Amino acid sequence: MFSRKQSNIVSVSDDMANKQQRYQSLVYALHSDIYRYAYWLVKDKHIAEDIVQETFLRAWKSLDSLNDEKAAKSWLITILRRENARRFERKQFDLVDIDDISVADEQLSSEIKLEHRELRAIMSSLSEEYREPLMLQIVFGYSGEEIALQLDLNKNTVMTRLFRARNHIKEALEKANDDKGRKNG
Amino acid sequence: MDELEFRRTIYADPNCNDGNVNQAAGEDPAKLDFWNELKKLDNKIQQASQVKVPDDLAHKLILRQSMETHRKGKQRNRIHLALAASIAFVFGISFTMWQQQSHISLGEHALAHVYHEGAYALEAQEDISLQQINAKLARFGGELSEDIGQIFYANSCDFENIQSLHLVMQGEQGRVSVFVIPHSDKYSSDRNFSDGKLKGDSVDFSLVSLMIVGEQGQDVEQLKDKLKQKLQFSA
Repeated sequence: MFSRKQSNIVSVSDDMANKQQRYQSLVYALHSDIYRYAYWLVKDKHIAEDIVQETFLRAWKSLDSLNDEKAAKSWLITILRRENARRFERKQFDLVDIDDISVADEQLSSEIKLEHRELRAIMSSLSEEYREPLMLQIVFGYSGEEIALQLDLNKNTVMTRLFRARNHIKEALEKANDDKGRKNG
Repeated sequence: MDELEFRRTIYADPNCNDGNVNQAAGEDPAKLDFWNELKKLDNKIQQASQVKVPDDLAHKLILRQSMETHRKGKQRNRIHLALAASIAFVFGISFTMWQQQSHISLGEHALAHVYHEGAYALEAQEDISLQQINAKLARFGGELSEDIGQIFYANSCDFENIQSLHLVMQGEQGRVSVFVIPHSDKYSSDRNFSDGKLKGDSVDFSLVSLMIVGEQGQDVEQLKDKLKQKLQFSA
């Protein structure tokens, strides 16, 4: 009886260790992309970090419901979007200017940095309905079908939004360059 | 594939591998240039999207989870402790109750015994001599000094595993049952006891108790006094 009890305890702690390991793998594999996605969703690094924390905590609590590791990414995105929606139920945050963000491209030339900064400003000026599918494509490499599935939208709608998002970015860039040209000329 | 459709498709997904798009780009260098330019832009967008992830984010996420697990574990321990305490409490209570239960009331038992034996004892027609009675009382160290009236029935009986003596004798207004019961820790004796039909009284000697049971309305007291006088128990 005692030996059986002991082996139960061992298997329980085995399960626990197993779960812990799955969780840590999940964190290491996906936290960067999830954080970036969160950032582009809320455009504030502190709020993004909070939401990512909440997302992963929820993920830990219901990790047993995740059966297929391949589905982990979209599972986390779903949790994250829900957390973000909950935040809006609570209160509307002031959105912080995009220039606040420290960027990953410190080793790049100042010209490219400037260009990236400009791009980020344009990207964050996109309305959420364009920004969100674009970031799923850019950050996670999702296909049109996958984005449609994740956002519960029609695929044609997704493709139209992606087209408009890039169209907007391109036009805004050209306009900015024109302005610069005029200023310099 | 016309110009507009070509643009729409590559704008929606610059890295698409659509046969029509590839064909259109192959046939028209201007389209190919445009596509490559868009791919370059997309590359820049991709780079610009790579905002810096806080250095310690992964550690924070794991730390937060271990804290949560620890907190849950502590809660679970508390629940276990509470559970164990409740079980101990219930066990304690029921043990006490069980002990008290086994401490049966002599009075109730005497009444039950009379009902149980019923007519067999109460309507017995023997006439037991003083000698015979004393022989039976000797086991309890008792002796009846003189005749006390007719005794119709005298037999050993079992009082919750205690060998006792069951007598039926003539009272003033009818037959009365008398039990001679050695003292035991099991019993809590009560002086007077009764239910709707029967009533009883008891006399304590040093080693035994007498329980006298008669019908309601009978003068049990009177027989009790008589027994007190005529019955002696040597310690």
